[in-house]
Amino acid sequence: MERLNRDTIVAVFLLLFCGVMFWASFDIREPDYGMLPPSAWPRVILTLTSFLSVIYLVRSLSRGPDGPGAYPGEPKSLLGWIAYWRNPIACFALFAGYLSAIPWFGMLISGIAFVFCLLTFLGGWSSRRLLLHAAVAIIAVGGMWSIFTYGLRVLLPTGEWTGI
Amino acid sequence: MIIENIADAFAHILHAKTLLLMAVGVAGGLIAGAIPGFTIAMAVVLTLPFTFSMPPEQGLATMISVFVGGLSGGLMAGVLTGIPGTPSSVATTFDGFPMARGGRPGLALGLGVWSSFTGGMISAVLLVTLAPQLARVGLEFQPWDYFMLVMFALTITASLAGADLIKGLIAGALGLLVRTVGEDEAAGIPRFDFGSEVLLQGFDFIAVLIGLFAFSQLLNDVRDPKAARTSLSEKGTMDARIEHLAAIKTLIKHWSVALRGALIGTFTGILPGAGGSVANILAYDQAKKTSKNPKEFGKGSPEGIIAPESSNNATEGGALITMMALGIPGDVTTAVMLGALLIHDVVPSPSFIAEQPVLAYSIFISFFLATIMMVIVQSGMLRVFVLVTRVRMYILTGVILGFCGIGVFAINNVDLDLWTLFWFGVLGFLMRHFGFPLAPMILGVVLGNIAELNLARALAIDSDLTHFVTRPWSLFFLIIALFSAVFPWFQSVRGKQKWTLFYLPGVCFAASVPLFMMGGIPRPIIACVLIAVGLWVLYRRWRNGWVLEAYEGHEIKEG
Repeated sequence: MERLNRDTIVAVFLLLFCGVMFWASFDIREPDYGMLPPSAWPRVILTLTSFLSVIYLVRSLSRGPDGPGAYPGEPKSLLGWIAYWRNPIACFALFAGYLSAIPWFGMLISGIAFVFCLLTFLGGWSSRRLLLHAAVAIIAVGGMWSIFTYGLRVLLPTGEWTGI
Repeated sequence: MIIENIADAFAHILHAKTLLLMAVGVAGGLIAGAIPGFTIAMAVVLTLPFTFSMPPEQGLATMISVFVGGLSGGLMAGVLTGIPGTPSSVATTFDGFPMARGGRPGLALGLGVWSSFTGGMISAVLLVTLAPQLARVGLEFQPWDYFMLVMFALTITASLAGADLIKGLIAGALGLLVRTVGEDEAAGIPRFDFGSEVLLQGFDFIAVLIGLFAFSQLLNDVRDPKAARTSLSEKGTMDARIEHLAAIKTLIKHWSVALRGALIGTFTGILPGAGGSVANILAYDQAKKTSKNPKEFGKGSPEGIIAPESSNNATEGGALITMMALGIPGDVTTAVMLGALLIHDVVPSPSFIAEQPVLAYSIFISFFLATIMMVIVQSGMLRVFVLVTRVRMYILTGVILGFCGIGVFAINNVDLDLWTLFWFGVLGFLMRHFGFPLAPMILGVVLGNIAELNLARALAIDSDLTHFVTRPWSLFFLIIALFSAVFPWFQSVRGKQKWTLFYLPGVCFAASVPLFMMGGIPRPIIACVLIAVGLWVLYRRWRNGWVLEAYEGHEIKEG
C-alpha cells in the first residue's frame, strides 16, 4: 500500500473497468452476416485501453508514493476534502435535484429554482444578493425558456403538478 | 453551375435574419473570448442548441461567427488586464499588456484587431483555395486510408493536448468506447446495454460533448469559493479607444510578420488537435527569432502582438479546411460544428464540397463576413465587452448550467439526454482533476462511428489486414501517427539526447516512402524534396559535430 499514489488508483480503476466491459462484450450477440462482428471493435478498443492502462500503472508504481506537497491545498481528512470540493459537489447535487424535479415542476420552474439556489449557494445570501440572484434566475431561465418555447418552437417538459 | 451555387449561398447568408444572427454570434463570441476561463469551444458548444431549428447554412454561419468573435475576444482581456481571455491569446499578452501599460492601449488593441482581421482573411482565402484541392485528394481515400486517418487524428490530438501522452491516448480510447454503447450501426445489434432501455439508445453525442466540456469546466471554475465570487478582470484600464489608423500603418510596416503568422495559424489549424493555443505561441516564437529587435519582445513590441493575433484567427480557416475536405474535425470547435452538420443529416466527407456545394460556399462566405463583422463589432462595443468581463464567475456558471439543461433537452426532446449531460459532466470533471486531456476524448466520441464503419467496410472488401500497411495513404497516416506519438517524448528531451537530432530527418525519410508509392509526378517530387530536407538537416548537424543545441520554447497547453 505504501507504493500507492493517485495515478496508481486511477490505473487500477481503469483496468477493472476494462475487465467489466470485456466481460460484457461476451454478451453481444454475433450475427451470421458481415465481416466485422459487433463485438470486435469494442474489444479492439478495450485491448488498447487495457494495454495503455498497464503502462500507466507500471509508470505510476515506479514513481513511488505521492509526496506531501504533491497536491498543494488539497486536504487529507474527509471533512476537509468535502469543504475543499463543496462548490462542485453542491453544483452536482443541485443539478441532479433539478433534473429529478423536472417531471413534477416542469423545466421553467425547476430551472429558475435551480439557478437561484445555485447562485445563492455559491454567492452568499445577503438580502441584496438574494434579490440579485432571483432576478438573474428569472431573467436568464425565463428568457431562455421563452426563446426555445416561442422562438424555436421546442416543446420543453411541463410539470405534472404545475402544468407549465 | 458554380456561379449558381455561389449565388444560392449568398442568398442564404445575406438574408437579414442570418446577418443579424451572425452579428449576435460575433458579439457573443467576443464576450466569451474576453472572459478569462470561458473558452471559445464552450461558447460554440452552447450556441449549438439554438441552431437546431435553423437551416444548416444559417446555423453554421452563426457558429462560425461565434468562433471568429471568440478568437478575437481573447485579445481584449489580454491587452487591457494582462489576463488572456483564451489560451489562443496567451502570447498576445506578452507584448499587448506592456504596450497598454506603457500608455498605448488603443494601439495595442488596434494592432490586435487588425492582425486578427488579416489572419482571418488570409486563412479564408486559403480555405477557399485549399479545401477543394484537399477534398480531391481525399476522394482517393479507401476505407483502410480513412480508418488510419482517424487513428492519426486521435494520436496527434493525444500527443498535443497534454503533457502525458498515455493519458491522452487513454482519453481518446475512452471516447471511442463511448460511441460503442447502444445499437451497433452496421448490424443493429445491442452493445453494452446491460439490459437497460436507456443504454440501448446510446448516448447522444452532443449531450456528451456539452457534459464533458462545458459542464466540467464550469465546475472547475467555481471550485475555489473566493475566486468564484470575484471577476477575473477587475484590474486594468477601461478607457481605451482603438487607434485604427496608427494600427493599420504599423501592420503594413510589419506585413511579413502578419503573413507568416497567418500561414503558421492556417497550417497548425489543418493538423487535427492543434489549434489557436499552439499556433499563437509558435507564431510568437518565430516572430521573435526573425525580428530585427528581438530584445523589444516582452516590452510592448508591435510584432509581438501582430504574430499571435494573426495566427490564432487563421487557425479556424485551417481547421475548417480539414473538416470540409476530409470530414475530420481539426479541433474541439470544429468537432461541434461537425456535430451540427450531422444533426442536419449532412455527413462531412471528401465528397462534401461536391455534394453540398451551397452549404460549402455558405461556410466560405460566412467566414469572410464574420471576420469583417468582428472588426466593426469589436470597435463599436469595446467598452461593453470590457464591462461584461467583470461579471462574477459564479453568476456566469449558474446561468450557463441552467441554459445547458434547456439546450440539451432541445436536441431530441428526451429527458435521458439531461442525465447523459450530468454523468458526462461528472466524468469530465474527474478526468480534468486527474490530468486527462478532454480534447482526444471528444475527438474519439465524434470519430468513433466513422472509424468503426470504415474498418467494417475495409474488412468487407478484403479481410487481408496487410492493406493497412501496403496502401500508400494508409501507410502515410500510420507513419505520421507513429511519429506524432513519439513527439511529446521528443519535445521533452530535445537538446538533451542524441537521438533527437535524427527525429526530423526520420520523419522526412519515412514520409517519403508512401509518397513514392503513390506514383504520378507531383508526389514523388514532394518525396524527393522531403529526402533533400532530411539530408540537409543531417548535413548541418554533421558539420556542427552532432552537437545538441539548447532549445528554448514556450509551454503549449490544451485549449
